[in-house]
Amino acid sequence: MRFVFLLAALLFAIPAHAQGVQQTKGSFEDKFRQLDEVLPDANTYRNASGAPGHEYWQQKVDYKITATLDESKRRLTARATVRYTNNSPDSLPWLWMQLDQNIFKKDSMAELTDAFGGPGRRGPKVSLGSASEPTKLSMDELRRQQAMADNEYGYDISAVTTLAGAKLPHTIVGTLMRIDLPEPLAPGQTTEFAIEWAFNIVEEDAINARSGYEHFPDDPRKGGNDIFLLAQWFPRMVVYSDYEGWHNKEFLGRGEFTLEFGDYEVEMTVPDDHIVASTGVLQNPEAVLTAAQRQRLEQAKNAAAPMFIVTPAEAAAAEAGNPKGTKTWRFSATNVRDFAWASSRKFMWDAQGVKQPGAEYETVLAMSFWPKEGGDLWKKYSTAAVVHTLKVYSRFSFDYPYPTAQSVNGPVGGMEYPMITFNGPRTTLNKDGTRTYSLAEKMFLVGVVIHEIGHIYFPMTVNSDERQWTWMDEGLNSFLDSVAGYEWDPNMPWTRSLPRDMVSYMVSNQQEPIMTQSDSVTNLGANAYGKPSAAYHLLRDTIIGRERFDFALREYARRWKFKRPTPADFFRTIEEASGTDLDWFWRGWFYTTDHVDISLDSIYRLKVDTKDPDIDLPRRRAEREAEPEVVGIGLNKAQGLPIWVLENPGVRDFYDSNDEFTVTPKDRKGYTSFLEGLDPWERRVFDRAVKEDANYYVLNFSNKGGLVMPIILGLTFKDGSKEKLNIPAEIWRRNAREVAKLLVFPKGKELVEVVIDPDWETGDADIENNHYPRRIIPSRIEAFKDEESKSRVSRDLMGEAAGAEPDGRK
Amino acid sequence: MLRRLVLLCALLLAPIFAGPLLAHQQKITITTVAVNPRTGMIEVVHQVPVHDAEHALTVQGVRLPDIVGSAKSREDFARYVTTRFLLEVDGAPVALSYVGSEIAGGSLMVYQEAPAPKGEARVRVNSQVLTDVWARQENRVNLGSGTRVTTFIFTAGDGAQAGVLTR
Repeated sequence: MRFVFLLAALLFAIPAHAQGVQQTKGSFEDKFRQLDEVLPDANTYRNASGAPGHEYWQQKVDYKITATLDESKRRLTARATVRYTNNSPDSLPWLWMQLDQNIFKKDSMAELTDAFGGPGRRGPKVSLGSASEPTKLSMDELRRQQAMADNEYGYDISAVTTLAGAKLPHTIVGTLMRIDLPEPLAPGQTTEFAIEWAFNIVEEDAINARSGYEHFPDDPRKGGNDIFLLAQWFPRMVVYSDYEGWHNKEFLGRGEFTLEFGDYEVEMTVPDDHIVASTGVLQNPEAVLTAAQRQRLEQAKNAAAPMFIVTPAEAAAAEAGNPKGTKTWRFSATNVRDFAWASSRKFMWDAQGVKQPGAEYETVLAMSFWPKEGGDLWKKYSTAAVVHTLKVYSRFSFDYPYPTAQSVNGPVGGMEYPMITFNGPRTTLNKDGTRTYSLAEKMFLVGVVIHEIGHIYFPMTVNSDERQWTWMDEGLNSFLDSVAGYEWDPNMPWTRSLPRDMVSYMVSNQQEPIMTQSDSVTNLGANAYGKPSAAYHLLRDTIIGRERFDFALREYARRWKFKRPTPADFFRTIEEASGTDLDWFWRGWFYTTDHVDISLDSIYRLKVDTKDPDIDLPRRRAEREAEPEVVGIGLNKAQGLPIWVLENPGVRDFYDSNDEFTVTPKDRKGYTSFLEGLDPWERRVFDRAVKEDANYYVLNFSNKGGLVMPIILGLTFKDGSKEKLNIPAEIWRRNAREVAKLLVFPKGKELVEVVIDPDWETGDADIENNHYPRRIIPSRIEAFKDEESKSRVSRDLMGEAAGAEPDGRK
Repeated sequence: MLRRLVLLCALLLAPIFAGPLLAHQQKITITTVAVNPRTGMIEVVHQVPVHDAEHALTVQGVRLPDIVGSAKSREDFARYVTTRFLLEVDGAPVALSYVGSEIAGGSLMVYQEAPAPKGEARVRVNSQVLTDVWARQENRVNLGSGTRVTTFIFTAGDGAQAGVLTR
């Protein structure tokens, strides 16, 4: 029996690329091999064109939650009733839940597998590489260790019951929990159960979660204040999908979330001087806001600029005072895949209505919540950036699908949830009490708000599986945030998301294909954000073209809005909607670690022989004359050696006055009979070619990087004119290593210079071999030295001179 | 002093496992070490995300750093970078001269160089840029240019790694 299993395992372990077809002679590699055999088979749930199939289904999970925040203990206690609707064709004997807070338990898989050393790890180091430096632990790692030692983190699950109160058997497996149902849940059926839990909220700055509290010890209030960001704060249903069944993938920290859509009714009881920002729409403003605040909120819906709901003065008063009791805020959210919220007495709050005529939500409230530490930076730019994001992203996808879009400042650098995002950048406090910020900090606030609000489209609405494929949402979102960034201010250095920015990563020998599960990737930033984003810029502006790419992207967004796409659905949709075979592109850019380096090795120039001896033979003669003289003959001349024919002038014959290129009657007769021998159509072609006397060039290319790409040629002609020619990548289909291309230009249009990819569109790693004739490409340092000598006048030389110059400066 | 300041930098730490957003601290630098045959120099190019650089300066007690706007902030940080990168050629430490720094597309570029030995050289490198500020800093060094590149990865406290640098 075991043997049978082993055999079966072996059979299934054969990698997809080895299935069926193998090149067993020679070294041909088909870079254009269609992806069908790698992609999962289409079925009735997901069709072969990348759209949801006619029997597409997904589960639905609705939650009713009541939660109480104990501010002094920094503990959250809650109860939920969960309503699970089984839309699958399968009968489910149990349900799985995600207990994300359990990642912070001391014995979690994430903690135990936190490897010592190696890329992408976290954790203390005690050794040191350089003899000149003392051994030390990093302070933030120590802080984390101490916080983990001093606190009990993770969920305390106190009850899992039926609504009638009967206990449901449940088994906790790390960050997962199986709940056994009294009887299997049949297709189309719904079940409800209750769950009660509590957990200690982590200190975000110490533990580095995606949520947690931040303490402000210097606030005027005795004991200071906190900002609480609550996310992954309730047991969430594990996804049950058509392609993976239950997604039982332990939360290891990097691969984010895979979630089901549903409706939420949530009540949060917090100190009565707190302001709560949350996924969803506030249901009881009369119970939690003052009359003035409610009126401002109404007004904001039609405001042309952000206006305060909670003013800086109100926030200042709150953060200096004390609560008198608690208040319960009630929010409801429809069709969301997650739910997050924030609570603090430090928050000021502004809002502005964004109009979307004809959309499901014609007025969306763009809102921001921040403490005084956010200062003018937040007042000026946060809500403005939210508004800008909705305008740009909606153009590329669909109308913003929710009634609110919020940006909240707290200890999290940048994180997204439905309708609400957490963003970190802040001002700096100066000694004179003012608050200022650098240009970079401003850029990062605008950038992070665009990015996180953008996530409400991808993956909060186009619900890709983040645990498995970070790149699916981060790549698209990095691409779109750079598009939105350039539309905000094209002169800001927004991003590193163009192909030219990815060269140093793509040539490195420590990288993984994009199609690698998120927890296994070493440099997630370059792998899942930068490289796919660069791919989309390249597809949009170079390979497919803007109109068709944008059409295809919108189609992907439209097809998968409120549904769950896989990589195959994305690849297939873009290919089909743009009408472009992109299998070679997905294969190279997403499935391998090849990079782009195309070399233009040589150019041959050809001319049509006219066969007319009176034309061709003088040409041959001219060519011969253009050749350099034989060196020995020149030396003989210099040496003054006698030459026999000159010494014997009397001995002369025909050949002394006629060279080998002399035209004879036989030549002419031959020409005439050649012409007579041509068929009429051959004669027409020949005559025309002779008449046109075009310039023929054969360009020889080699592919050194491995990735096949269009060959984009910048052509410069003798008359000074320039042309750009885009040869599709398919030129590499029969030989992915070397190709030659014939180019024909009319008489008089002589080629003098050719460069591959003149505008650096493809991320070609070696620019030097792009030029023919070769030219010296200055290194970054050489170019910098040039620039520097030119721009010294505009530099703050006095300031530079005042600082101690580094050792060894020239 | 530095230790105290490291604790103070609390408010900015991005989430742990590389973080959900890269526009914030990325904690990754890439350095290229390659010989320029024309100048006969080993050229060292460090690429550091601007935001990380600013926060590192704050941590080190620089008030109001502005890497994009202020040449002084930029040079301050560039100077720091040069002290955290070690290069040994054929067994001997190399004093890299500082060439300059500039902003390019969201990154601070810091340039250094030193005369290259003739022919192949056995080199050892260690990049500890920002590892004294963040435990989770990861530095990558690409040795060589064009298509033949060897990549080393360094985290806090790692020893030097050896490779061959060709001309």
